[in-house]
Amino acid sequence: MTAASGETPKSATIVRMSLMFRVQHVLLMVTLLVLALTGFALMYHENWIGRGLIRLEGGILYRGFLHRAAASLLMAQLLFHAFYMLFTREGKKELGEFLLRRRDFSDFLQAIRYNLGTAAEYPLIGKYGYKEKFQYWGATIGILLISVTGLILWAETFSMRFLPKLVLDVTLIIHGYQGLLAFVILLFWHLYNEHLNASVFPMNDAWLTGRVKAEWLRQEHPLEYEKLKQEGIL
Amino acid sequence: MKGTVLYAVIAAALLGVCVPGPREAEARLSLEKCTLCHGKPEFRKILVDGKIQELFVTGDSLKGSVHEKKTCVDCHFDVSEIPHRERPRRVNCTHCHYKGNAEGAPQSDGYLAYFESVHGKAIARGNAKAPLCQDCHGSHAILKAKSQASLVAQGKVAETCGRCHIEIYAQYKTSVHGVAVAKGIKEAPSCTGCHGEHKIYSPKDPKSTVFATHVADQCSKCHASVSIMGKFGIETEQVATYKESFHGVASQFGSRTVANCASCHGTHDIRPEADPLSSVNPKNVPKTCGKCHPGANANVAVGKMHVDAKKKEAGIVYYVASFFKYLTIGTMLALIVHIVLDMYGRTKRLRGEK
Repeated sequence: MTAASGETPKSATIVRMSLMFRVQHVLLMVTLLVLALTGFALMYHENWIGRGLIRLEGGILYRGFLHRAAASLLMAQLLFHAFYMLFTREGKKELGEFLLRRRDFSDFLQAIRYNLGTAAEYPLIGKYGYKEKFQYWGATIGILLISVTGLILWAETFSMRFLPKLVLDVTLIIHGYQGLLAFVILLFWHLYNEHLNASVFPMNDAWLTGRVKAEWLRQEHPLEYEKLKQEGIL
Repeated sequence: MKGTVLYAVIAAALLGVCVPGPREAEARLSLEKCTLCHGKPEFRKILVDGKIQELFVTGDSLKGSVHEKKTCVDCHFDVSEIPHRERPRRVNCTHCHYKGNAEGAPQSDGYLAYFESVHGKAIARGNAKAPLCQDCHGSHAILKAKSQASLVAQGKVAETCGRCHIEIYAQYKTSVHGVAVAKGIKEAPSCTGCHGEHKIYSPKDPKSTVFATHVADQCSKCHASVSIMGKFGIETEQVATYKESFHGVASQFGSRTVANCASCHGTHDIRPEADPLSSVNPKNVPKTCGKCHPGANANVAVGKMHVDAKKKEAGIVYYVASFFKYLTIGTMLALIVHIVLDMYGRTKRLRGEK
């Protein structure tokens, strides 16, 4: 297929997630699920959901072990991901696509206006629009912060020497609510954007196959579609 | 006299009730015969260890007690001749105090629990120092437990237990509970208040009311009760805040190593926070926390110990929790609004494309 032909068949697909990112995504999914199940078990221990989860996780001590094991894996992933994005060719290219620009904010406002009916055109989105960037940076910063509070609580005997009890109490509150906030965002943002909206339902399977339909790309990420056309990839 | 005995025997045979046989009944010794020797004030015996055992007993010894109408051999039934050649065996209270006894002696399952208790088991193993009924309830001057003067009354039982548990009694006496009991405060716990009465187990026994995972429940019987604590101006939320803490949750789910009430407040030596000898006095808190968290310093005394993030008294903890609560709710609403708008706009776009 060449740029000169101008027509792209509707069944054509294009790589959106390389194997490296798919593996990272699956690991992230598994660790976040384990962390949510073991974390909320403790946070909501007083009701049947928490009690059931704790029983499922083999008791309160094993729950803690699972939570810390998953947390260790998550923090290792965070370090690996930072290294990968900063120092590899593929990573540097993707990081460039993910950098926040003023345009993302105006795209967001235009999208809202279009949805409300006050703008005629939906914004033209590149490879990663405001939705993807919000998810990506939200997750990255969120994981970084929850790791800090988590480590303080994990090493409680060590932390106690340097931090007043008051600070540890606040740390515990922040850690729990950070987790809840992350869960809420995954539920109402990721679940809708990647599973439930009409364009991808039941899901955007790029996380498994790595590929998306060219037609979907044209609708959702027109600037990327045009760019790939000009580069002759589509 | 013989006629009545005969009737009694016939009646007993008919009813199938066990009463002392005719020979035993005939051989019953009267109070007068016992006091021939025991009625002398100087009647005493020097024991092997040099202690002197007073053996002076008169007809008045049982007066006012629950056994007022009994006579010596009702309990010392192994004495059948005077003078008795052997030292009479220790009195066995279950001779009368068993369920369905003809004497009408009080009996409940509570008494039976004694045999399973740490004391009952020690006796069964042959520990002569372990207490039998009479060691706590008294021998001749037994009063109802409800009576103020009883050895096992709320105000006196600590002293009774303290006859053997001397060091613990010394600690308890100056503790907040010991002082309160001495003041005559009915609600304050004596030994039995926490350890139970007949079913006392070792604190290491999971059946014990003061076993590590049961301590919080035991303390909360009084300390969670507004009607009891209100009288003394003591907060009741301490139990709830403990249960919400890391320590409390771990304890509720079976951890035996995690701190319970007693780990920080002490057991027999519980004192109010303001007391410089209290383990939870701010000056002593680092040492107390340091038992489990080595290196704990003055930092652990900064901030409230029992924190309830849902209450304003928690200060900054409350405000941070509230901030996050509204942030989470706000985020959720914003995301839902965004979803609804996107659904609307997407439908428009997808239709326009067709």
